[in-house]
Amino acid sequence: MAAAALDPVSYLRATPPFHALPQPLFDAAAASLEVGYYPAGSRLARVGGEPLAHLYVIRKGAVRLERDGQLLQVLEEGETFGYTSLITRKATIDVVVEDDLLAYRLPDAEFQRLLGDAQFASHFAVGLAERLKSSLEHSAITTFQADLSRQVGDLVRRTPVWIAADATVGDAARLMRAEGVSSVLLRADPPAIATDHDFRNRVLAEGLGPDTPLARIATSPLRTTPATAPIHEAWGLALDARVHHLPVTRGGDIVGVLTSGELLRASAQGPMAVLRGVERVSTRESLAGYGRRVAEMAGALLAGGLDAAAIAGFVARLNDALVHRILRFAEADLGEPPAPYAWLALGSEGRREQTLLTDQDNALVYADEGEARRAWYEVLAERVNADLELAGFPACPGGYMARRWVGPMAEWRGRFDGWLDAPGPQALLEAAIFFDYRRVAGRLDLAPLDAVIATAVDRPVLLRFLARAALGFRPPASLLLRLRGGSTTVDLKLQGIAAVVAVARCYGLELRTEARGTLERLEAARDAGILDGDAVAAAAEGFRFLNGLRLRLQLRAVAEGRPPSNEAALAALSAMERSRLKDALRAVKTLQDRAAFHFKTDF
Amino acid sequence: MLFSSPPWESAVYWSLDLETGGLDARRDAILAVGMLPVREGHLRLGEAYRTLVRPEQGKAVSPRSVQAHQLVAGDTRGAPALAEVLPELERRLRGAVLLVHHAPIELGFLKRAFRAAGLRWPAPPVVDTVKLLLRLDARERRRFPELPADPPVLNLSAARRRLGLPDYQAHDALTDAVATAELFLVLREALGARRLRELT
Repeated sequence: MAAAALDPVSYLRATPPFHALPQPLFDAAAASLEVGYYPAGSRLARVGGEPLAHLYVIRKGAVRLERDGQLLQVLEEGETFGYTSLITRKATIDVVVEDDLLAYRLPDAEFQRLLGDAQFASHFAVGLAERLKSSLEHSAITTFQADLSRQVGDLVRRTPVWIAADATVGDAARLMRAEGVSSVLLRADPPAIATDHDFRNRVLAEGLGPDTPLARIATSPLRTTPATAPIHEAWGLALDARVHHLPVTRGGDIVGVLTSGELLRASAQGPMAVLRGVERVSTRESLAGYGRRVAEMAGALLAGGLDAAAIAGFVARLNDALVHRILRFAEADLGEPPAPYAWLALGSEGRREQTLLTDQDNALVYADEGEARRAWYEVLAERVNADLELAGFPACPGGYMARRWVGPMAEWRGRFDGWLDAPGPQALLEAAIFFDYRRVAGRLDLAPLDAVIATAVDRPVLLRFLARAALGFRPPASLLLRLRGGSTTVDLKLQGIAAVVAVARCYGLELRTEARGTLERLEAARDAGILDGDAVAAAAEGFRFLNGLRLRLQLRAVAEGRPPSNEAALAALSAMERSRLKDALRAVKTLQDRAAFHFKTDF
Repeated sequence: MLFSSPPWESAVYWSLDLETGGLDARRDAILAVGMLPVREGHLRLGEAYRTLVRPEQGKAVSPRSVQAHQLVAGDTRGAPALAEVLPELERRLRGAVLLVHHAPIELGFLKRAFRAAGLRWPAPPVVDTVKLLLRLDARERRRFPELPADPPVLNLSAARRRLGLPDYQAHDALTDAVATAELFLVLREALGARRLRELT
């Protein structure tokens, strides 16, 4: 018997860049090979601590590279780490074991010897440049390097598993076991999909047997994503459809099925991870911590290059999923609703423009037939408000919460009418919050409320008052924006963002558009020809910048344990950011000037 | 006595596997030895020792065992005799812990071989990964009494797979010693053992 290479040695030999080493050099290195096992949660290196003394090759399991709690990279089987430590002699990255890790490792001295091989060294030079760049950035938030614009097609690891249209559930289960997959596609017209979840929820839980035709429990039509879609779009799709398996198409063919786990791998702190967290909320006690996870996700997405508007879209979807969950808990305890209702998100949550969790703004409206059992809805509202507080949404200091704002449709219509008829200061404030409502859950038809809002345009006085209020948010003159003296801080919300939101709302009401988003409202005004394209483009650009800057500063505050605020200290910004901030505030001022003219606020 | 046992990683463990001509220590031959040390919680592949052994006169090699270890007479004919190999084992095991998967068989063969060669068996503390598997199984049963009472998985390859370790080619003495040592690291962690005493 020839002494065969040991499994760890042959594995190392097959792993780049070891595969290209000359045999004697490799053999010498392999003689120093060690094997270690590190359970999930172990911290192998800490920034500023002892640098790693070995080069590690992952054989099983996964490792997270982090800095300041921000994920840089997830490494898996066949990938190497430790070389930034070995080359720089510093620990610049936290190395944390994500999944129980079996690793092969080479001592420092052997690694240094191998660096004498030019090809071997060049392999690490590339990775090193990237990791150093990401680890030396000054801001914790900007270090997240996962490329969210990667295409989902890149994540597909294997071709899909198909089964004949007349297969049974038992056939499918056996095929899935043999192939080691968690879903199977049914070759029917149209094609359908069946998953592990379906076997649990639609077969076993329903008392069905293995002879059940698969077609009976499979789902069609398929929710698919093109292979060319960016990963974050696929996330959005999976979130909206609440599915865990997403077939990927290329040129009309299904080239693979992505699981939420695989999407998750693309970013361990992505929306899928938080969504799974929401779905795993099995009791009300486990709601706590949700807010922190959303903040982590927002940080990862921001650093991954998504703008604040796209991030807000994800946050809104997640918050909606959470409200659904909470309503299910409540209904399980309280019983069926006596009549249909709608749970409304108000303000920024209604416009889907909330990024970090801010105060709750919500309301409950129910069908008039439910009035006889008003108490049921009051208890429901109280429960949901309390649970949302538990999840990390602070109670609204102004009290715009369902526990107070609950009533039948007739009452709500009267209230909306009242704001329109008598636009005093309090009515204007409330109209601004309530007119941005969005239905999050419930089956009640809200057309009557939309009909009232649509009459706003017939009452020019109201629009004029609303526009005047919008001009009350005053951006500082850019001449006054100085590092020392003058205005050294800017309130990004009151001196910028809120002004754009309020102006856009006026245009939206005038146009009777159902769009709630600030940018959509501005675009509608441009398309209708009542606002010039340049002003819209500049204001939209400024709005995005202000929101992005605010989110970044807030996330930094959260990471450093300070309460997030809307204040931006000019000294804390780079020269480029200061200059963009001035541009943005100038665009806000221009937008206000246009609105002053259009809504005749001076009359 | 309670605190006299050393922290587990301060001990040196020699993971050892024998290929034999059968399961009967009195009758069957030792055909191969593979062993490697675990120092400070890490397997040292470079210090691995492996050798084939020339079967002694009168010792049997059953056809079934050949299927398993794939060693035929031609392979072991030129190998060193057991008498030359045993001092290599003795030197390594001195002051160390012997780590094996299913100790009774290996211990039977080793003790007998040492005695036959007129050598003193160094009597190292023994850690048996099968015993650790049984302990882990018993603990899980206590924690989850509602789970079905499947018999515990004790086969080396199957146990590794169950605990998330990669598949290695079985039945090469040194590979099995490596496989056993890795399994040991996982079981040590799973049992939360901090001291050698909790492992023997």
